[in-house]
Amino acid sequence: MSSKKPFSKDIILLEDVESAVNEIVTKMQVDVLHTMKRNGGVIGISGGIDSSVCFALAAKAFGPEKVLGIMLPEKDSSPDSEVLARNLAEIYGVEAIKEEITDALSGFRCYERRDEAVSKVFPEYDSGTHKMKIGIKQSGLYSNLPPIFTLTIVEPDGTEKEKILPRNEYLQIVAASNFKQRTRMSMLYYHAEKLHYAVIGTPNKHEQEQGFFVKFGDGGADVMPIGNLYKTQVYQVAEYLGVPKEIIDRTPTTDTYTAEQTQEEFFYQLPFDLMDRYWYAFENGYPASEVARVMGETKERVEALYRNLERKRKTTEYLRMSPVRNYYGL
Amino acid sequence: MKSDMTEIKGKVKEYIHQAVYTDKDKIKDDSLIFKEGFMDSMGFITLITYLEEQFGISTGDADLLEENFESINAISDFVMRKLMN
Repeated sequence: MSSKKPFSKDIILLEDVESAVNEIVTKMQVDVLHTMKRNGGVIGISGGIDSSVCFALAAKAFGPEKVLGIMLPEKDSSPDSEVLARNLAEIYGVEAIKEEITDALSGFRCYERRDEAVSKVFPEYDSGTHKMKIGIKQSGLYSNLPPIFTLTIVEPDGTEKEKILPRNEYLQIVAASNFKQRTRMSMLYYHAEKLHYAVIGTPNKHEQEQGFFVKFGDGGADVMPIGNLYKTQVYQVAEYLGVPKEIIDRTPTTDTYTAEQTQEEFFYQLPFDLMDRYWYAFENGYPASEVARVMGETKERVEALYRNLERKRKTTEYLRMSPVRNYYGL
Repeated sequence: MKSDMTEIKGKVKEYIHQAVYTDKDKIKDDSLIFKEGFMDSMGFITLITYLEEQFGISTGDADLLEENFESINAISDFVMRKLMN
């Protein structure tokens, strides 16, 4: 009979990184080469930690010659991303190509639709001179109230203006911005089908389970090698696989809106190391009192955090659902 | 003043009842609509938009407190306070 380990701050760490990597690599080979009968993997590389780790895992699983890395920048992307992605490809000896998607996005009127909604909230907004981002109000994390989204515009002199984002404008900005991830997914499948490869998806455990991905966008892939790894574990694997320090040290960003924005600011509301521990405790049923003692928190705040995590999981269930097709002949 | 409060509560209740994905009989005036999961994030933002448009109030960061929005009673009190200021 297995008994649960007492909760500790280190409970999240992989005890044997090499063995974890081997397990992932072996399963990737079985799934992609044997089950899906594809010859290798195509992966979008952004210079971020998640795609870099998936890229290194794919190179190890299929061999560098059977992996294609694709940089998919658009006009709002950080220029650093391409430099880091090219360096990564060189290190692992994998071919990397660039597919600029700005024209495709303009064809969808992605920027125009987004800016139209921003202008309804801030009539003075000018996409040529202002930057914009959306975020979550931090105060909601330990409250029973759901998060509220805000829109921030950054004026040319750096002054920031923030307003609560009304429902319709929020939905329009998100829907327009999601063209980015869905266009990337289309391009990845173009190359994957051309080469008879599988698309390697890059979401990690938090992104999957808390719904921080775009359905049929970055959530559209054939395999997700780090889909069951906490961010702390992704960093452990990155170190083991020799991912460059500049990538490991880089603050994870959304790289979606024109103003710079961390993932913590946009979605998670907690630093990754804390989020990992609380999520682990929540999903493994550790009592709030035990977790509070270890983390130096109050039981009430941990209980509120648990409710917040449960709400995130429930309200994003739609994103993880496959199309429902069993309507007849049940 | 009492009739104002009755009118506000009536409108808030009517809105909440049509906005939630559940049987309206389950939602009492003191039911904790967010804690008990009757409304999610999208419901919250829609509620704020409704209150601003219906009652001509504005909601700022400092107002985003549980005690202002946790139930029909709390929301009605919040609107009343805003209208009196």
